[in-house]
Amino acid sequence: MAAGAILEIRGLAKRFRARAPGAESPWIIRDLSFSVREGELLTIVGPSGAGKTTLLNMIAQTDTASGGEVRFRAQVAPLGDAKALRPGLSRQIGYITQDDNLLPWRTCLGNVLFPLEVQGRLDGQTRARAQSLVEAVGLAGFENHYPHELSGGMRKRTSLIRTLVYDPPVILMDEPFGAVDAQTRALLQADLLRLWGEGRKTIVFVTHDIAEAIALGDRTLVLSRAPASVKSEHLISIPRPRDIGGILTRPEFVTLYQAIRAEVA
Amino acid sequence: MARRSEVETGGAVPAPAAQRRSQRLDQALELVFLLALWQVLSLWLGTYWISSPLATLAGLFRGLASGELLLHASYTAGEAAIGFLVGGIPAAALPFALRRMPVMTAILDPFMVGGYGAPKLALAPLFILWFGIGIESKVALVGVTVFFIVYFSTLSGIRALDTRLVQMAQVMDANEHAVARHIVFPGAVPYIFTGLRIAMPYSIGGAVIAELISANRGLGYLVQLRAMNYDTTGIFVALAATTCIVFLGNWLVNALERFLLRWRPPADAMLQADA
Amino acid sequence: MSALEQASLVESAPGMNRRRLLVMAGRIGLAALLVLAWQVAADTAGDLYFPQPLAVARRIAEDTASGALPWNTYVTLRLSVIGFLLGCAAGILVPFLLRLSPRLTGAVEPYIMASVGVPKYALIPLFILWFGIDDAPKLWLIGLLVFYVVFIAVFAGIRNVDARLVTMARVLGASESVISRRVIWKSLTPFFFAALKIALPRAVSAAIIGEFLVGNAGLGFVIENSRQQVDSTGVFTGILVATALVLAINAVLERADRRVNAWRPVDRHMEI
Repeated sequence: MAAGAILEIRGLAKRFRARAPGAESPWIIRDLSFSVREGELLTIVGPSGAGKTTLLNMIAQTDTASGGEVRFRAQVAPLGDAKALRPGLSRQIGYITQDDNLLPWRTCLGNVLFPLEVQGRLDGQTRARAQSLVEAVGLAGFENHYPHELSGGMRKRTSLIRTLVYDPPVILMDEPFGAVDAQTRALLQADLLRLWGEGRKTIVFVTHDIAEAIALGDRTLVLSRAPASVKSEHLISIPRPRDIGGILTRPEFVTLYQAIRAEVA
Repeated sequence: MARRSEVETGGAVPAPAAQRRSQRLDQALELVFLLALWQVLSLWLGTYWISSPLATLAGLFRGLASGELLLHASYTAGEAAIGFLVGGIPAAALPFALRRMPVMTAILDPFMVGGYGAPKLALAPLFILWFGIGIESKVALVGVTVFFIVYFSTLSGIRALDTRLVQMAQVMDANEHAVARHIVFPGAVPYIFTGLRIAMPYSIGGAVIAELISANRGLGYLVQLRAMNYDTTGIFVALAATTCIVFLGNWLVNALERFLLRWRPPADAMLQADA
Repeated sequence: MSALEQASLVESAPGMNRRRLLVMAGRIGLAALLVLAWQVAADTAGDLYFPQPLAVARRIAEDTASGALPWNTYVTLRLSVIGFLLGCAAGILVPFLLRLSPRLTGAVEPYIMASVGVPKYALIPLFILWFGIDDAPKLWLIGLLVFYVVFIAVFAGIRNVDARLVTMARVLGASESVISRRVIWKSLTPFFFAALKIALPRAVSAAIIGEFLVGNAGLGFVIENSRQQVDSTGVFTGILVATALVLAINAVLERADRRVNAWRPVDRHMEI
């Protein structure tokens, strides 16, 4: 195991069941390996349909693998059998999906408190933490609004802090800022960077937006087309704290962007 | 489901204020016209055939003042309400109990479909035979009618469960119990209410039919009694009172639904989202 | 949930077959259990409440052989179909007439919708008073019940017809009657079928209930007359035949609907 790695993916593979009996079942992911350091913000880009979501599902243990292993710290996750899966590995791995998946019958604050409630950890202290997160992402005053009364950006923020509030050591993000306009997206990215800078969580951030991958990440992995594996790795040496707006014109950014785009295309 | 709500709202399109106002005026004119027509008909044919609006209104007030109408209405409403609970509560609970038993659900399915499709109102004489002409036979009839409606609407609510929400909760380490309580149940509530909304008129209808056939109290009995005495105005009064109970019941269910489901986006927005 | 779903996805074909067998066996077992429960109830509670299953079977056979049961079934069916056709005709005609005047629609619609709340069955004594004791009061009841179902469906269907389609047809110079026939009626078919599936069984139900209260023939008369004579075998016989009749109609409609609207996803509709 690599030194300082909190999460290690070794030879991970996934194939779906064949459509017709006797037909060759297609591999979605094959021989995919990488590791994530503690406190790192790793971004992963790849062409659409490359199995990025499937990869995160397997790491989060909501889906089985057809081969390979996922290690969290020294623990090997049981990935072979659907019934043995432990989604989220006992609160160790948080997962923010593409859809915000807010509970429509709970208010904004109710959604943020949801994980604490089901984990039986809701008390004065955790409640105060939830409240401070709500304020930190500018949702103060909207605590009692239902999801349908919030804007797309607000829903994304609620979904983000709903995972932050219970403090899992690793957080997976699957294009979390996908369906919002460019301006909101930049604000959300800035929010994420700020919160990450304060807490230094380990984050695995999947996106198809190369600029986003560079702007946020310490390191970017590029996935190949299906069956997906790691095609290349890029260290992002742009110093932090980063200014999301200003970063786009830096020479390092432009060089990286062109290199990665050539690989993804 | 979507089709049902369209049928109910009639796909109403918000009209501009001026148009709405003229529509209100039309509706008011229409009401006056209908009342006038009713009055003319009763004058022309005589109150033996058709009671006049004024006589009906007066009868309604007389009945209310003497307490007679309220007494019979309270029997009918009581039968409907108890039957509603007796049939509705197990019907809403059963699909939850069966959630983890797909084989059992499949075994029950043809029996439930049969019960759903069977003409339950035709059971009225049977229940009267079994339970007598008192409240029990009406409660049984209402309960059976309500049961199958609510069972299937609850079942479809559980089947419409959003698995992404379950997955989200599981990642957050929610156990089976928490998933059932926080995800499955609240998600099914709108469907349960659809069932209740549909079942409400049936429950009152069922009670009234059983009363028409054989009873010694209730609004259905009152209609039947007055029909035997050729008291047309009395029939109109009892019918009006029955209609009032239906409206009251609908209003109650709707108010409860509005309160419990205040998290839902307004219907218009939902229709747009569906489209 | 997801884990379970995947497990069932992965499940092999023999596993599925075993499960299907289990379900079949369970259904047969449950049916047998129900008959057994009936038998036990008959033995303990007595003939007055639960007639012997065999006695009911014998009665069905006898009355079928004597022609009484087929005759009463025919009477009920005939009544249902005539009432259904009357209600259907009105339920289709009124929305198309209303379509000609949006203003009239706006004024009339709330009253029709409000009158849905009037419990129609309670009108029977009034219908008897007005229309006598022959078929007329029952036909009014059946027709009225069917009318509301069809009216609401067709009305909503017309509202749902793509307005652009209608405008386009008008621009192309189609007359109102052509628009009604071609554009609107086509789009209405699924709505109409949904209404039919609700209305036809309901028409039979209404006929039976009408026969409870007035008349001297039909399945409803058999049931209620037997009750008044404390002939529980007769009550059971009538109810069983009536239930079988309605379920058979449901099955036929279900099959026809699936054939006509094969492209639509199947859903069990939330209606009686």
